[in-house]
Order: sequence, then C-alpha cells, then structure tokens
Amino acid sequence: MVADRVSDEPGTATSSPAAPTPSEQDVLVVTDVERRFGDLKAVDGVSLSIRPGETFGLLGPNGAGKTTTITMIAGLLAPDRGTIEVAGERMHPSAVAVKRHIGLVPQDLALYPDLKGRENLRYFARLQGLRGADLKHRVDEVLEVVGLADRAKDPVKEYSGGMKRRLNIAVGLLHRPSLLILDEPTVGVDPQSRNAILESVEALAGEGMAVLYTTHYMEEAERLCDRIAIIDTGRIQAAGTRSELIRLLGSSDQVRLSGTGDLRAASSAVAQVRGVERADVTDSEVLVTAADAPAALAAIVTAASTHLELADVEITRPDLEQVFLHLTGKALRD
Amino acid sequence: MRAVGAIAGVELRRFLRDRSNIFFTFIFPLLLVVVIGAQFGGGASNGRVLLTEAQSSFGEDLRATLTAADVTVDASTADAAAETLARGRADVAIVLTAEDAAAYEAGEPVRVEVIQASTNGAQTAAQRVQTALSELATTRAQLAALTGAGAAPDVASQALAAAEEEVPPLQVDVVDVNEISQAFAGVTGFDVGAASQVLLFVFMAALAGSGTLIDARRNGVIARTLAAPVGTGSVVAGQALGRWTIAVFQGAYVMAGTSLLFGVTWGNLPVALLVLAVFAAVAAGFAMVIGSLLDNEGAATGLGVGLSLVLAALGGCMFPQELFPDALRTVSSFTPHGWGYRAFAEVQRHDAGVAEILPHLGVLAAFAVGALLLGSLLLRRSLGRAI
Repeated sequence: MVADRVSDEPGTATSSPAAPTPSEQDVLVVTDVERRFGDLKAVDGVSLSIRPGETFGLLGPNGAGKTTTITMIAGLLAPDRGTIEVAGERMHPSAVAVKRHIGLVPQDLALYPDLKGRENLRYFARLQGLRGADLKHRVDEVLEVVGLADRAKDPVKEYSGGMKRRLNIAVGLLHRPSLLILDEPTVGVDPQSRNAILESVEALAGEGMAVLYTTHYMEEAERLCDRIAIIDTGRIQAAGTRSELIRLLGSSDQVRLSGTGDLRAASSAVAQVRGVERADVTDSEVLVTAADAPAALAAIVTAASTHLELADVEITRPDLEQVFLHLTGKALRD
Repeated sequence: MRAVGAIAGVELRRFLRDRSNIFFTFIFPLLLVVVIGAQFGGGASNGRVLLTEAQSSFGEDLRATLTAADVTVDASTADAAAETLARGRADVAIVLTAEDAAAYEAGEPVRVEVIQASTNGAQTAAQRVQTALSELATTRAQLAALTGAGAAPDVASQALAAAEEEVPPLQVDVVDVNEISQAFAGVTGFDVGAASQVLLFVFMAALAGSGTLIDARRNGVIARTLAAPVGTGSVVAGQALGRWTIAVFQGAYVMAGTSLLFGVTWGNLPVALLVLAVFAAVAAGFAMVIGSLLDNEGAATGLGVGLSLVLAALGGCMFPQELFPDALRTVSSFTPHGWGYRAFAEVQRHDAGVAEILPHLGVLAAFAVGALLLGSLLLRRSLGRAI
C-alpha cells in the first residue's frame, strides 16, 4: 500500500488516509474535525483512526495543530465540526464517563511539584475512581513501569527533568486506559531518560494499548510508530507507514563519491552499473542515484575506483524529514 | 463526590506542606493575640487596681475583698503606680502608706488616698474600691462592737462569720453606664484579641492560598483533572471545599491555641464553631474570586494579604470595633469581618446561642453565598484558560 496524500481541495479531508476505513475495533475514530480560535483555523478537517496495540504518530512542527487535536480527543475542547469517538463512545467535554478510556500525558508537566511522587499518583488515581487496595496496587505497578519506585517518597520538585517526565507518563497509565495520548513526552529530557520513555511506550503498545504519539522528533516517530500522519497548518498532509510515506517522495537513494581522478570517466563507468539510475558530476564529486544504494554499493565503488582514488563514499536515503520538507516546503523543526 | 474530596484534600495537603505557611499559620496569629491581649489587658475587666503596701494586713484584706469582686489587683509603688495610671494601663491606684497600715492594725481611723485614671473603666473601678473599703470598715466596726461588749477577738470573729452566713451581706452590682466598659465586661484582652485574629487569619490563609489555584491552572494540573472522568462542577466544588477546609483549619487552630495557651473562653463552643464555619465560607469564596481573576501567583498573594488586612482593619480586628467612631462602625457593617466580630462578641461575652446571633449569621451567609457563586462562575470561566 502506498501512503495517500491529502488533497488540498475543500471537503476532501474526510477521505484522509489516516482513517481509511474506521472499523468497530478502532479505539479512536476522528472524523473531519475542525477547530478555530478566532480567525485562526488551528485544526482543519483532521480524520484518523487507531487500532488497539497500534502506535500512531502525529508528526509536525510547533504550531501545526497537534496539541489542539489531542486536546479535543481528550475531551478538553469541543470541536467546531466533526466527531470524535473513543472506544465506540462519542467524546465531548461534557461526556465525563467517556474520559475513563483515555490516559492523557500532556506536554506540560501536569504534576504538583510540592507533593511526593506517590502522592501525585494517589491523587490522580482517586480522580480516576480507583480506591483502596486496587489504588495502592496500581500506584505501585506504574511506579515500577516507569522506574520510579525507589523515589516515590521524594517531592517531585527534587526529581530530574527525565524523572518528572516519567512520572507524568505514569499518571496517564494509572487506570489502564484503552488509548494513551502522549503529547511530546520527551521534550527537554536527557538521552537516557528519553530512551527509557520510548522503551516504555513500546512495551505498552506491545501489551495492546493504543497510543497516539505527537512529536516533532522524526527519529522517535520512525522508531515507535506503526503509522504516521504528517500534520501542518492544521491539516494532515499525508499518512501511512514510514515506507509508504517515503515512497511519496518518488525519489531514490543517493551515493556521493569524492576523490581525485577523472570524475567524468568515473561517472560514465558508474552509470553502467545495474540498479544505478543516473550518475552526475558536480564540482568535486560524482552524485549517483540508485533505487537501492546499499545493494549496488559494491559495484558502484568498483566501477568508480578504476578512474578515481576514492576519498569518501556517502549514502543518503530519504527520510521523514525529507518527506516533510517535500510535503510542506519547510523543515520539521522550523 | 469522591473527586470533590480528593481535590479538597490535596489543597489542604499542599497548604500544610508549604513551609512558608508554618510561621504565618501557626506562630504569627498567637503572637498577635499576645500583643493585643497585652494592649487591652489580660485580666478581668471589672477593673485594674494598683496597690501599695500590699504585704500589710490592710493591703492583704483589701486585695482579698477586691479580688472577690473580680477586680484585678497588682502590687506597686507610689511612683510606679502614678506612671502606670498615666499610661492608661490601670484604672485606679490605692496608695497605702506604712502609717496607714499601722493605723489599720491598731484599729485607728485611716484616710486612704485613691487615684483614678482617665480610662473608660476608671470610674467603675473607683466605685468598686470605695465599696471594698466600706466593707472593710463595716467589718472592723462590727468586730470593735463585739469586742467592746466583752467578746474575745477570736470569738468575735467567729460570731461575725456565722452571722454573715446566716444573713448574707447585700450584693452591690456596679453598672457602668459607659457603653465601652459594658461591651468589654467579663472578657479579657486575650478574648478580644483571639476572636479578632481568628477572623484576620482565616481570611488571610484562604486568600493567600489563592495562588495555588493559579499554580494548578498554569502548570496543567487542572486541565489534567478535567481530562479525568471528573465534571467541571466537581472541580469547582473541590476547589471551594479545599479553600474552606484551609480556612476552617486555620480558625480552629487559633481557637484551640488561644484557649490552651491564654485561657481564652469562646462561650458556646458549637455556636462559635458555626460562626467560624460560615465566615470560612466567605473567605473561600473571596479566594476563588482572586484565584480565578488573576493569572500571577505573586500578585494574587499580595492582593489577598492586602485585602485581608484592609477588611480586618475596617471590621475591627486590629482595633476593637467598640472604640470606632460611628462612621467607621457603619463602614464595618459592609465587611464580613465586622459581622464576624460582632457574632464572636455575642458568643464570647454573652454566651449567645444561634437564635441570638441569627442576624449576624444571616449576613455572613449572604456574604458567603455571594462570594462562592461569583467565585464559582469566575473559576468555571478561568478553566478555559487552563486548557
């Protein structure tokens, strides 16, 4: 399957590939949702669906509409248009009971810094309706999951940034939600904590939890997400698996060969190699385009070496960053 | 309802966890009670009398008679007594000399010098001193008559005591026409100070705590709370209950502390606690209004403390309402503190029940309903800013 690119034509957003065919098993079905703030259309016809055990990435730069979208999905904000269903029930700010299906991990550290880690968890667990032994058991359990059991008695203000992030996630897991929403959960954390968070998310998805993961870190989306939607200016620009999205580019791998010798002769020789689509000479290197560069690399190097003393060989494969650039005309972190 | 309790509980926990509250919540109120108690006197307000030559038998007899009439008697010297009277810290000085004491011992005529201050209760206190001196003179005359008739002094004393038991002496109640003296009759300065500090600190604790509401809104906790299966009404009710709990806690602490440390009497305790509960609801409403209107914790704390001090001053919590000029007393009727002060005064000084303070409770309840409704409305609106 090739990822679909959403048309810019008005009214076609409902055919968004992010929600190709909502099924009864889908934990989340978002249909043609729109939200305005004054004249600004923050979310414009977003549709998507997520299955149990699936990690769905919402990839976009700051201000793309990610947080507004998940705020509506979490029932904190009403859409101006469109519908949101969670576990088969219609979500709306007044639909209090539906919120039990969702575990929200907001981008901000929504914790009481003056309370201990365990006290924060107990508070939010009580809001979720947990009581007595079940509450204590779940608090202990999520502390283990996020690796904070030994620091549970410390005030949150004494935690490192990464520990706060992990506790922030733990709050969202307390009531075993069907859908876990993680809004940029790794912002500002050290690499070690970041890896721990990503491992936790992978484990949760492995247990069957549906995860909606927003980020502007391409590598996180590539590592975690089964499907990714690229969102910009409130619209889903494209959606699909990583490889499906990359195929949207319609471009191949590139190999840069640099060295001393006869660049033109090298280029001609390389162009004869099977799998090579073209070979061009630039100022100081030969730029080779190939459908599968790693597979053809040995033959390319052999052909080029007859005319060049190679100093450097570099393979460039298209990634989501390039997909984003291709779709939106700007870099992901702009 | 459980969510309401959880939200209220976490608010109280955060209040108690804040170390900066230790001084202002637990120590400062009691210090102010001491200051106000010392300023307005810690003894009974039937009069404050200074006595020289207090160790003489005349002095001891006089002290016993005055103390029996609930007059506070302190030993002094003539010079110190004059200075104390001039400063208004005593109502009357009885200047006994060694010669007076000796003449009293010998049964000779004594002329006692009594100096009256210009305090509100001085005239009443002087009258009580005159009554005490008359009682002593009468007793001495009766004893002289009995011993003159041949009775031994011991027998004469016993006969006189027996006669007093059978025919109790006339009880003289001195009624002061001065309204201020009447208002403070039977209470100590600590009693007045304690009630004032309850009102002041209940309000201040609640309003200064409005910053935590802003903090919870800004750091996303309220948004996260609303993302749980908790309705907006429960969040508003939980915040109101939390602030009320903090206010009641603060008030109950001052009441218990002053009762244990300074012997402050609160009259009918359940009724006093009812006054506290209703007044705390007013404070909770005001705290919600401030916490919802402002988005800066420092500004909210500053405004809360400032407003608490102004309302307390206008309501008579820094200077007794009874000493206010009429215009200021009228102004105090527009403050919850003014009504709280009057309600506590009725309960403390006259052991009033609910029926007697119903008007006070009614006005306080109206303040509470108005403030809580406005606070709830504004908080609901501010929740939009939390998301």
